[in-house]
Amino acid sequence: MTHTLRALPTLVRIASAEMTAYRAEVLIWILTATMPLVMLAIWDAVAADGPIGGLTQADMARYFTVTLVVRQLTSCWVVWELNQLIRGGGLSPQLLRPLHPLWFQAVRHWVALPLRLFVLAPIVAALALWRPEMALPLDFAHVGAALLSCALAWCVAFGFQWVFGSLAFWSGQSLGVFNVWFGLWSVFGGYLMPLSVMPDTLRTIANWLPFRSMLSLPIEIASGVLPASEWPAALGIQAGWVAVVFVLATWVWKRGLARYGAFGA
Amino acid sequence: MIRVADLTKIYHVPQRDPGLGGAWRSLFHRVTKEVRAVDGVSFEIQPGERVGFLGPNGAGKTTTLKMLAGLLVPTRGEVSVNGHTPRLREVALLKQITLVMGQKQQLLWDLPPRDTFEMNRALYEIPPREFAETVEELTRLLELGPLLTRPTRNLSLGERMKCELAAALLHRPRVLFLDEPTIGLDVVMQLQVRQFVAAWNTRFQSTVLLTSHYMDDVQALCPRVIVIAQGTLRYDGTLAGLVERHQPLRRIRLRPPTGYAGGLPEAFRRPAEVEGGPPGGDDALVADVPPREVGALLQAALALCPEADLRIEEPPLEEVFARFFGAEARP
Repeated sequence: MTHTLRALPTLVRIASAEMTAYRAEVLIWILTATMPLVMLAIWDAVAADGPIGGLTQADMARYFTVTLVVRQLTSCWVVWELNQLIRGGGLSPQLLRPLHPLWFQAVRHWVALPLRLFVLAPIVAALALWRPEMALPLDFAHVGAALLSCALAWCVAFGFQWVFGSLAFWSGQSLGVFNVWFGLWSVFGGYLMPLSVMPDTLRTIANWLPFRSMLSLPIEIASGVLPASEWPAALGIQAGWVAVVFVLATWVWKRGLARYGAFGA
Repeated sequence: MIRVADLTKIYHVPQRDPGLGGAWRSLFHRVTKEVRAVDGVSFEIQPGERVGFLGPNGAGKTTTLKMLAGLLVPTRGEVSVNGHTPRLREVALLKQITLVMGQKQQLLWDLPPRDTFEMNRALYEIPPREFAETVEELTRLLELGPLLTRPTRNLSLGERMKCELAAALLHRPRVLFLDEPTIGLDVVMQLQVRQFVAAWNTRFQSTVLLTSHYMDDVQALCPRVIVIAQGTLRYDGTLAGLVERHQPLRRIRLRPPTGYAGGLPEAFRRPAEVEGGPPGGDDALVADVPPREVGALLQAALALCPEADLRIEEPPLEEVFARFFGAEARP
């Protein structure tokens, strides 16, 4: 682990240089994750006639503004990378290095965060001007807990994507399965609608699935929906999912590597 | 030291008929075919040896190299590289080996090779002074100077290959697995890479296991060769021994002076009669004789025609291998 930590600053520098080389592509990717703005427009219109699930227009604006930010902070694309690396044999050079390939991928995600926030800032400012009554809770406790929750959410998302990406060891193509997962995440993660507007049965199901830990919980904390007294339990649930997905990803990865054909390399 | 015992790799390759019908049937009835890429191969390589790993396409060379490097898990058998089991991919082993694949790259595509070097410095924990020395040496030996600051995507194949080689050697590995390291390079680059590998082996006493379809690579670098075909080991010994076994004759080429009408030993014939090619305008004669008869035949030829131009030729390795695999293919 100390070896990894010593290598991290160099990896961060190299990944930043790579991101600069791909800056136009990264910018486009950032802009493709603006679905919360579309959903805000829809739910704002729906809430114009009165609160939906207890949420007013201001609540909707707050929810989807926070969703926009959390989505960017927890954004993950490793399933596509891993799928391609396994299918094309590009994983081989990475396996020969004395560092788990996971770190290369993780660092690439981290270095994109400043650019993501930089692009988001004017959009969030515009939303705040549009609905000044949404009043985002920006105190230290909310921001700190939300950031911790975002970090855990990213770990859960990254872990599950690692699992789905590793399925390419068996099927040679794992993106189809992941697309189903992505659809479920959009609904049960609170991406398309706040979980509070769901019927009770669906909300109960959502509580048992990992998707809430991947997006909704940090949104609920950051937007003030979840009382501070419930934060420890929420963060505990997220940490639990991190542990589960870590064990699952390790198990799938080890078995997958035993099947790796290193084709094309 | 590399130890391989009964190494076997079996793939289960999906089979599918072409077209929509084939795709539909494969949904419900998946058919796989067992392919024995490597089948019971055993050998040992001592530290500092340079060994050519040869065989026709699909013989199992690259699969074996990948198992030695820990990329593939063997179906059966034992592999040990410097006391480590490669499939465990221990950091201690990964820091001692390198695998250069002519068709796959480790260089970061959009960044200059210098950045990949820097990344490897951090990953392999190369001390700064040693790193600077090695980069300087590799830059000099491989003439990398202006290449290091250009994005990899803008380099030619040959330039990229030289940078690949440098990136793979920065940590001074004790074992080099080279899979077609000169593929696609022009003759000047090929020669440069060969000379470099030989110099590196001498300087660091590193073990080299090389696959190549270019026989010049093998001849220049590998005193010992291991030949496999259809996944099984067919020969393990010196290159000279292989040549001796499958092409035991030396070829003497004699060109008499213009207008010479005197006699010559009977062993000399027109090239078309010996080589089987079409009769050409070449006025040289050739004779294929065992090595112990070369001296006597030369003396006899010079006694009859003192002004003759005489050359003794080693049989081309391509010809030796064609005979080797040709003999194997015959029932």
